[in-house]
Amino acid sequence: MTTTRRDFLRHSLAASGLVAWGLSPTFVRKTAAAAGDASKRGNKDTLLVVVELTGGNDGLNTVVPFKDPTYAKLRPTLKLPTEQLVKLNDELGLHPAMTGFGELLQDRALCVVQGVGYPNPSQSHFRSMDIWQGGTLAAHISEGWLGRALKQMPSGSQAFHLKQENQSAPLAFDGAPMRVPSLATLEEFQLRMSATSSADKKEQAKIIESVAASSAKGGLLDFVSRTASNTYAQSKRLAEIGKNYVPKSPYPESPLANKLRLAAQLINADVGSRIFYVSIDGFDTHATQAPTHANLLGTLSQALTAFYKDLKAQGHGERLLIMTFSEFGRRARENGSRGTDHGSGAPMFLIGGKLRPGIVGDHPSLTKLEDGNLVHHTDFRQVYAAILDDWLGVPHKDVLGSEFKKVKLFAG
Amino acid sequence: MAEKIDPKWAWEAYRPSVQAPWDVRRVGHLYRRAAFGATLAELEAGVKLGPEKTLRSLLEGGPGLPEFDRSMAPLAEAIVRSNDSLNLRAWWLSRMLYSPHPLQEKLTLFWHNHFATSNAKVNSARFMLVQYSLLRQHALGNFAALLRAMSSDPAMLIWLDGRGSKKGNPNENYARELMELFSLGIGHYTEKDIREAARAFTGWEVGANSTRFDPRQFDSGEKTVLGQKGNWKPDDIVRICLEQPACPYFICGKLFRFLVSETLTPSRELLEPLAEEFKQKYDFGALVYRMLSSNLFFSEQAYRAKVKSPVEFALGIVRGLEGRIGTRNLVPALEQLGQNVFYPPSVKGWDGGQTWLNGQTLLYRQNLALAFTSTEDPQFGTRLDPARLARQHGVTTEEAQVAFFLRLFLQDDVPTESKQSLLDYARKAQTNKKPVYWTDQDAADQRVRSLCYLVLTLPEFQLN
Repeated sequence: MTTTRRDFLRHSLAASGLVAWGLSPTFVRKTAAAAGDASKRGNKDTLLVVVELTGGNDGLNTVVPFKDPTYAKLRPTLKLPTEQLVKLNDELGLHPAMTGFGELLQDRALCVVQGVGYPNPSQSHFRSMDIWQGGTLAAHISEGWLGRALKQMPSGSQAFHLKQENQSAPLAFDGAPMRVPSLATLEEFQLRMSATSSADKKEQAKIIESVAASSAKGGLLDFVSRTASNTYAQSKRLAEIGKNYVPKSPYPESPLANKLRLAAQLINADVGSRIFYVSIDGFDTHATQAPTHANLLGTLSQALTAFYKDLKAQGHGERLLIMTFSEFGRRARENGSRGTDHGSGAPMFLIGGKLRPGIVGDHPSLTKLEDGNLVHHTDFRQVYAAILDDWLGVPHKDVLGSEFKKVKLFAG
Repeated sequence: MAEKIDPKWAWEAYRPSVQAPWDVRRVGHLYRRAAFGATLAELEAGVKLGPEKTLRSLLEGGPGLPEFDRSMAPLAEAIVRSNDSLNLRAWWLSRMLYSPHPLQEKLTLFWHNHFATSNAKVNSARFMLVQYSLLRQHALGNFAALLRAMSSDPAMLIWLDGRGSKKGNPNENYARELMELFSLGIGHYTEKDIREAARAFTGWEVGANSTRFDPRQFDSGEKTVLGQKGNWKPDDIVRICLEQPACPYFICGKLFRFLVSETLTPSRELLEPLAEEFKQKYDFGALVYRMLSSNLFFSEQAYRAKVKSPVEFALGIVRGLEGRIGTRNLVPALEQLGQNVFYPPSVKGWDGGQTWLNGQTLLYRQNLALAFTSTEDPQFGTRLDPARLARQHGVTTEEAQVAFFLRLFLQDDVPTESKQSLLDYARKAQTNKKPVYWTDQDAADQRVRSLCYLVLTLPEFQLN
């Protein structure tokens, strides 16, 4: 593939100046302190956790319109038994694996926005993911919606990508005024050294750090040097934080839960965190979907429920908003491999202590399909707009480029 | 972005000149791109041989390839029998490190990234090795033949759900990626083309050890794909894709990023001479040769214009230090660095470029360099020892040691200040306290290892 816009962007970012979280200790508690003056743009102490369901989640088997007789016809082998669904109301139920979300609903902390998508939906994983992460339908996408939001937020507003080993930072963060760190664990984030003495160790560390920090060298070397400088500074800082963290609610064992636990540590360490990005992969269920999908939704529901409970118990419940999205939904009719092909129009979940709980919008019609796909009625940017304006405190037009009618996610 | 590049100049064969002399820098550059790094002996030999002969030897491979292949074959059979995914990866890394024909392995890695298939879903060492062999067979061969063969490759049939795709209910996964990722790129086909093409890939089943084509499940009806109407079969769809003007540009652009530069986005005009030639027969070996022998490849625009992939980073150190390591331990190390071969993150392969490096992977890289050079790591032990290597090359003074490792790993091309800090460290370290049970030799060796480690942590070493 040719050089991607992401590479290009990183390159220009690297040249834009030395900004690294960790270099300045002053941002600690900065956002909390600034929160008193909430009239200023971005001056809030709210938290946003974005959860990417990678591969295209089958919305129809996530939020199931069980009263609609067409459902069973479209899904002869994949239909979920009505009695096992986690009921949202008389017509809709969540996949049986999502019992945790049922609890959140009881707790008035869950909001389901139905039928979300965008015009002329792309069914390429990569193009559609870029659109969702970029928050735009532009042909060339070089910045992410969260990156652009961070630009508008007070300096010191921190964002983190909590990643799995071979994941790279998401496009969603591109365009941020500073490189958003990608973390997997706190413990492994240390530079090791083999030295005869602690003095020798210091000496070696000094060389490694000073060589990295020395003046601009041009091209990719700048990128490497700045990455290295930032890394060594972060490494020191991370060694100190989060050491004494004890969750107030148990987490299940899953990579997603581990990442959220790490988010909880960082939130608790109060380093000015505002935005977190995590993903869970495997939703591209072209064949034998049923067991895989149940597993994924179970993992998602358990991990997010545990995370919400923990943060609520720590006193952050009203600061927290979780948003899930996937690059597209799946074809309404199942295919011949007991799976589903790429589709469009799917639900999003929002979780938090200050939401208007419940269901927004109708389930997309199962009979009025386009190319066999569900038709969206809500643009994803209407959801983003509400989050930007009412949660992050950033005028959504500055991020999304034009005005969108906000989905009513919050009371008042 | 860089100034406009003249395509004619760019793809003419490089001839050494006063402005662009044939020196150890260019030998190192060629070995990093066309192989997995060089030993000191290879660097010195390359300087003497000149560009043409050095490139020839890399393109043709050294002597002993049939013997090497024979020696690796029984291991592959054992891996197939036990379906051992760890040894599967170790086996390929071993081939990359020790094959007399490293360019073949390097381009196999290119194709693995292109037709990115993961054993996470395939879950069959047998089928992954079948695909690996297919990729290696055509690594320097014909792209059209490779693309045709891929339609019925068992690992691919599993990976993109071709197996079980039936007439009347085709699975679109393979048809989509064939166009989007394997031949044309997004924007050069419609959703309708995909749905139609998917019908031509129906009828395949995959058993435990082999594939089977069932004509009754094959949709033999008429299909319209990219404007061509007919009762198309898989090879017809591949032919139609290859006939699209976008195809040669797509492949040339991708190889450009792999061999020449990640920082330069090649214009259509720059790629035109290559693409027009390539589309005649889709002779990939000739394309590789043309790129590697070009002015542009040996120019400053290509030099250090890539971030080393984890495989390039790790194998470059191992090759340079001339030790033989068991590659099983390399597998988890590379996984941490983000490049788990046979397990690419998605059908798009590894994003590569600057995404290889972030706070975490950079630290892991430095820590892996330490594990290789310290002789104290439980995984790698003393199999690689910079102190031993330096002694073998008769290098004893601090000045000579610094110069030795800088030449081996960076062909001396680092800022004077970096050299100076290394020299200062080497001198000062002599006065370091050492544990009482160490001999003077132990302490001296330890200093050499630390020096080597410090060289490997220089920012320049992260670049390819």
